[in-house]
Amino acid sequence: MKNILFKSLFVLTLAGVISSCSDVIEAPTKSSLDENVIFSTPVLAEGAVMGIHQSFSETNSYRGRFIPFYGLNTDLEWWNSSENTTDDRALLMGYNPIAGSTQMNTENNAWAKMYEGIERANICIRGLRSFGDVENNKELAQLLGEALTLRAFIYLDLVKAWGDVPARFEPLTTETLYLPKSDRDVIYKQIIADLEEAAGLVAWPKENAATQSTERVNNAFVKGFLARTCLYAAGYSQRADGSIRRSNDPELAVDKMYKKAKDACLDVINSKTSTLGSFEQNFKNLCQDKTTTGLESLYELPFSDGRGRVLYTFGVKHKTVDKYTMQAQGGANGPLPTLFYDYDKDDIRRDITCVPYYWDGGVKVSDTQASGGYQVPNKLSQWYFGKLRYEWMSRVVTSTNDDGLNWQVMRLADVYLMAAEAINELEGPGAAAPYLKAVRERAFPGNSAKVEAYMASVTASKDAFFKAIVDERAFEFAGEMLRKADLIRWNLLSAKLSEAKNNLTALANRTGKYAGYPDKIYYKTAADGESLVIYGLEKGHTDAEGAALGYASSKGWFVSDGVNTINDTKINSLYLRNPDERQFWPIWQVFIDASNGTLKNDYGY
Amino acid sequence: MLNQNLIISKMKERRTSGNFTQKVIFCFAMLVFFAGTVLAQTKSISGVVKDASGETIIAASVIVKGTNIGTVTNIDGEFKLNVPANAQTLVVSYVGMKTEEVKISGNVINVTLTDNARMLDEVVAIGYGTARRKDITGSVASLKADALAAIPVTSAIEAISGKLAGVQVTTTEGSPDAEVKIRVRGGGSITGDNKPLFIVDGFPVESISDIAPSDIESMDVLKDASSTAIYGSRGANGVIIVTTKSGKEGKVVVNYNAFTSWKKMANTMPVLGASDYAKWQYELALLKNNGEADSYEKFFGNYEDIDLYDNVPTNDWQNLVFGRTGFTFNHNLSITGGTDKSKFSFSFSNVNDKAIMEMSSFRRDNLTFKFNTKVSKTVTLDFSSRYSNTKIYGGGANEQREVSSADSRLKHAMIYTPFPIKDLTSESGASDDTEVGNLYNPLVNLSDNDQQQFRKTYNMAGSVTWEVFKNFKAKAEVGYDDYSNKNNRFYGMTTYYIKNVPSSTNQNHPAVILTNTDRSTIRSTNTINYDFKKLLSEDHNLNMMVGHEYIWQQSGALTTTVHGLPTGFDSQTSFNLTTQGFANSISNFYDPDDKLLSFFGRANYDYKSKYLLSATFRADGSSKFSAGNKWGYFPSAAAAWRVSGEDFMADSKNWLDDLKLRLSYGTAGNNNIPSGQMTQSFESKTTTWINGFGSYWSASKIMANPDLKWETTITRNVGIDFSLFNSKLSGSIEGYWNSTVDLLINFPIPGTGYDSQYRNMGETRNRGVELSLNWMAINKKNFGLNFSGNIGFNHNKIMSLGLMDDFGASSGWASTEIGVDYWIATGGSVGQMYGYVSDGRYEVSDFKEYNATTKKWILNEGVADASGVIGALRPGSMKLKNLTEGDNIVNVDDRKIIGDANPLHTGGFTMNGRLYNFDLSANFNWSFGNDIYNANKVEYTSTSKYQYRNMITEMESGKRWTNLNADGTLSNDPAELTALNANTTMWSPNMDRYVFSDWAVEDGSFLRLNTLSLGYTLPKSVLNAMKISNLRVYATGYNVFILTNYSGFDPEVSTRRQTALTPGVDYSAYPKSRQFVLGLNLSF
Repeated sequence: MKNILFKSLFVLTLAGVISSCSDVIEAPTKSSLDENVIFSTPVLAEGAVMGIHQSFSETNSYRGRFIPFYGLNTDLEWWNSSENTTDDRALLMGYNPIAGSTQMNTENNAWAKMYEGIERANICIRGLRSFGDVENNKELAQLLGEALTLRAFIYLDLVKAWGDVPARFEPLTTETLYLPKSDRDVIYKQIIADLEEAAGLVAWPKENAATQSTERVNNAFVKGFLARTCLYAAGYSQRADGSIRRSNDPELAVDKMYKKAKDACLDVINSKTSTLGSFEQNFKNLCQDKTTTGLESLYELPFSDGRGRVLYTFGVKHKTVDKYTMQAQGGANGPLPTLFYDYDKDDIRRDITCVPYYWDGGVKVSDTQASGGYQVPNKLSQWYFGKLRYEWMSRVVTSTNDDGLNWQVMRLADVYLMAAEAINELEGPGAAAPYLKAVRERAFPGNSAKVEAYMASVTASKDAFFKAIVDERAFEFAGEMLRKADLIRWNLLSAKLSEAKNNLTALANRTGKYAGYPDKIYYKTAADGESLVIYGLEKGHTDAEGAALGYASSKGWFVSDGVNTINDTKINSLYLRNPDERQFWPIWQVFIDASNGTLKNDYGY
Repeated sequence: MLNQNLIISKMKERRTSGNFTQKVIFCFAMLVFFAGTVLAQTKSISGVVKDASGETIIAASVIVKGTNIGTVTNIDGEFKLNVPANAQTLVVSYVGMKTEEVKISGNVINVTLTDNARMLDEVVAIGYGTARRKDITGSVASLKADALAAIPVTSAIEAISGKLAGVQVTTTEGSPDAEVKIRVRGGGSITGDNKPLFIVDGFPVESISDIAPSDIESMDVLKDASSTAIYGSRGANGVIIVTTKSGKEGKVVVNYNAFTSWKKMANTMPVLGASDYAKWQYELALLKNNGEADSYEKFFGNYEDIDLYDNVPTNDWQNLVFGRTGFTFNHNLSITGGTDKSKFSFSFSNVNDKAIMEMSSFRRDNLTFKFNTKVSKTVTLDFSSRYSNTKIYGGGANEQREVSSADSRLKHAMIYTPFPIKDLTSESGASDDTEVGNLYNPLVNLSDNDQQQFRKTYNMAGSVTWEVFKNFKAKAEVGYDDYSNKNNRFYGMTTYYIKNVPSSTNQNHPAVILTNTDRSTIRSTNTINYDFKKLLSEDHNLNMMVGHEYIWQQSGALTTTVHGLPTGFDSQTSFNLTTQGFANSISNFYDPDDKLLSFFGRANYDYKSKYLLSATFRADGSSKFSAGNKWGYFPSAAAAWRVSGEDFMADSKNWLDDLKLRLSYGTAGNNNIPSGQMTQSFESKTTTWINGFGSYWSASKIMANPDLKWETTITRNVGIDFSLFNSKLSGSIEGYWNSTVDLLINFPIPGTGYDSQYRNMGETRNRGVELSLNWMAINKKNFGLNFSGNIGFNHNKIMSLGLMDDFGASSGWASTEIGVDYWIATGGSVGQMYGYVSDGRYEVSDFKEYNATTKKWILNEGVADASGVIGALRPGSMKLKNLTEGDNIVNVDDRKIIGDANPLHTGGFTMNGRLYNFDLSANFNWSFGNDIYNANKVEYTSTSKYQYRNMITEMESGKRWTNLNADGTLSNDPAELTALNANTTMWSPNMDRYVFSDWAVEDGSFLRLNTLSLGYTLPKSVLNAMKISNLRVYATGYNVFILTNYSGFDPEVSTRRQTALTPGVDYSAYPKSRQFVLGLNLSF
């Protein structure tokens, strides 16, 4: 026995000695795969492209920070609690952000997650180009196009929010780990080229398996997004030296860019792969997770049911859980009070976009169910976006922090209005008119006389038409976080925001175009037990008439206890500093600190 | 060295009480010497051997010099011996005493032996071998079994606390399985794990917490590179060598030790009572809502009725959660025995610990078996096996791999409403963003975060030693270590996890995560040892060892995440019935292997034991680095000079027993990073965030770095060992200077596309002085008293951070509200706290006026505006200092270093006394000069965005600023506010977010009477009647008292350990307990 033990130990020892050559200290990874396998196999490569989406969904990425915060405040939209001017969110959206913002200054913030997405896209692009045989394999070609498009999407947001940013178009190496900012023009040129390449790779809506859903990139979106990118690239913005100007790069000149935008938009419209449909239905589809292509929606960020804060941030507020939602959220952001009154009363977009009430009075039945709930008027100074509503959803949200709605990146109306804008610039209002009219007609169904009259007045000059585009994009896209970037590229940010403050003051005092409204609103709950009937929101309504209606309740709307309901604090919180000095956010301090001295904040920070 | 006094006092016990072991030695010695007795021309001599106190010594060896003729003394200390007629000298020796040579003159020879307190012959483990203490040239601190046995502990590491100079032991919190942080001389890494290398019986292990303290023979801590270099790559942070008990020759001995203890929470923090809580809630409601009380009235009723709360019975949540009496039962049985050919030992230990926190308990079983046999004259075989099984129940008070700090448990016991409030439940504000968020019943919160951990380790090792020819020994060892950890984590209805992580259909249903981690290690070591005795003259000693080692570790984890379990399932039901839920992910992940191939050698030389030299060299090849960087080479050398051995020191012999100077220089390495950092790997992960996709591929969030290489620590050490006045006073002084270069740092690279990257960058330095002293004050027959103590000063400095000058780190306890709160900078040290400087509060005089229209208070010119940090200002708001010139606004730029977690010195001292059969010992330990980041205090005194939370009495009525008039309105009148707050000292708790200021940095210095123990050994006469050789009963108090100015639960704390960058944070630590132990040691 002892002998055996002795011998076996001796053999083992010998084995140990013999194995002592250098390759015994190699240890390759096990639970992973090599790029050549992943990017030559469509199902695996698709998983790698989904890795980019994962970065969007991270807690403080698009999900919790970029989508809720970028795009505010404007002449249409604001943070509904902006009067709390010491809150970092008020600073962030009120054009006075600080690099140490407690909302944003964390290592896992949107900036980091956007670059994480870019790195993942860069790896996908390199992998698909190296191993993917995209010339012969359509599935892999689609994925390459998708990766290129998503990368462009992130870059456009980076440039929108921060101006000049580091340009990373190859996977990181030790040498490229720390890069200084690159001129935004360099990035624009690259992503325009990428999108043009992607347009040759991805399929039109419904053309292949991937493009059945708006949650995957299709050619209509690629081209639409190319147009958007071109308009931004040619537009105004604040430069590092403090000036606000267009690009000096001849490649990004207005004529060239607008031509590209026009061609891309017309390709989309003429392809007839998507249709405008009804304005309301688009948002209902969004709320109901209907992602079929061919309708108005071109592309949506595919948040799963349990992730994302779209409705949570932009929807109509529910103060309690009720039969429509187990999540008492909504209404963090909302339209300016003036927006409702600025709409033409026949514009069907008005009541869909601007909601004066919240939901209250629901009763919890179990962890997954509640009952009741009815509408209660809120206050003049705080409105809600009605494009997103829990009550439109086909499922009940049970999560406490996330609603799972997709973020609609682009819809066909945008392509129409971009086409109108580009063509007006290049060829004048006559050629551009049909594209504006298409959108206008949808907003005034059965009211063609009004549309015709309007079209006649705005096509009078190129300038008038441009102003009409500025207005139309406001009424069409309020709450969709396009306005801020639009105002910047038109160089109208300061002017429009200043005008908005004046309008808010006028509204508060009911002077000028806001004259002629009663002090109070008069309301009752309709027969259905939940919806409101309100009197007092239309021009020409009077308190006398309202009181005579005999509704159950009334509420001081413009004036309460003898005081204007919109006060100066609230109005002034729209912007805390000249917006043109703060067109961009600062790069958050953690990223400056971690940049090895390569990054700095310009624009007067 | 500190244990010597203990050992000596034990020896005394043995001498006087006739300890069993002694009898064994006696019997064996008799046998051995009997056989050797030569029947020649002889004469008979006899005598008695006594010690200095006059007590007879049993089993002292008496040998005729130069022969093998000898005997041992009997039970009465007497010996009888037939010696050759020409015999000249008798050599009389006894373990632990100075050997005496006595001239043989006459037939009766009485001998008195004196204590050899220096214990120079003590054997110390030095890695791949042992050495006598007197031959050591490096810095080694040791603790022997006797010292461990004297203090009943459930974990071996607890026993070291305060006992070894330069070894800082921090028990991070009070849970039974709390991580114990050990730092040998500070530790050189910045982000890396500075934990020392643990070697158990030659085998490197991750932790020694699964070893029963009663199985440990000795623990030796190698501190300088000359001693650690033999472990090369992994020795940079010190090496702790644990040697477990082996069998001994003699008849079978049975030892039984048992103790039982009762424990209570050591400290509580009072919170507001019912009426003060209601009053504050009312004021807070007004403050938060511009004077409107709706949010108060909704839950509490009208202000007019507030006096109803005066007599409302309250729940003492701290008592309900942590208040139960903990109970521990710990026992151990060991059987040892053997012949001169074969020895064995077997031991079984069991610990059963019901902890003070509800649902929390701990159980561990250990089995060990060791067998040693001499196969032939030249071949010896050793075999050992250890098995341990640990079960830990309960989720503890916090966890390191948390989904959100929202789930930390302690805070709920502090901030939950003191009385039940209708409708104010978790559901009324379940989102973490709302004012009621995170307000959960502490007991529900506890059961909703339940956890079970089952840990099994087994280790088997065999070795064969072959003495090929005289003094040339070859040894081959093969060992296998297997570790498995099963972690069952339950997430109940109130957890952040189930509201946010599962897919929407499975949200608000319980979830479990079952993680099975397996790790196995194979080790093969071969050494050749040659003692050059034969080739050298007697004055020269040279010993050389060369060796080779291969360690191959494989590990992986199977993680099963089950979501959507039926609501109402508790933790146990969920673990048992996982099929009732939906598998969200099943991840079977194999880590890259960790392989290490090494070659090493050591030479020890001395001349007349006066001049000692040793040199060590080790080459390590690690699979963690890419080709070209794989191999690290770690040489070291040391010299020592025994001054007392010199002739010119002859005059001092009467007072100086021993004086040795030591000097060493060497390098050791560190590769303590995860495997597989050289190439960017693609990993597949589960997701619940993307429509239509359950998984995705991505590069890992840590960026690969193909250029990684070894981190190297260069150690310089000087030491003096001394022993004075017949060994009454002994000790050592050491100084060291360690530089760590090419630090392996998990460097944050946010914004680049990855979160971090392992890099070699920068350099740190640790310098320090250590002193240990042992003073045997009284040593009489029936009365003894001795003291020992040690102190270590360490100063850590970051010499360089490579590319950068500094960077921040976030402890993250307040999620994103606080951000960076530690600052790592060149010239500083790891553990520097970074925050605002408190300036008390805004007084009425700081304001110009109250503007009734804007409802705002306007600050005076020149008063710093901290509203960006605190929120809207009004008199009583917390005030912060503006540190930057040019503005008058307090913002992130106005933070600075406000605290340092590094102590100036740490140490401990021990007093041992004995009187007749009683023994008494007291162990103190301390830490001086370190700061604690009291995050608890911040959370329990500030509202942040939340409403309805309770606070600690730091903010009770009368102390906190109040804005409340008697009529229930907010006062905005300067004079009135001044009058209301004439006697208040604190600011108002109302602020928009948690603020880390120097107010929350507290002096963490403490002196703790760690154990106080009184024992009684039953007299021999009583025991003999019971056939028992030894029986001692004792009572011990644990954590008897603590002297500290720290206002939190306990200053020995560090709970944010996810990165090494944020030490010394006290956030939601499991409270420590005070313990009373009764136990017995029994041998027969």
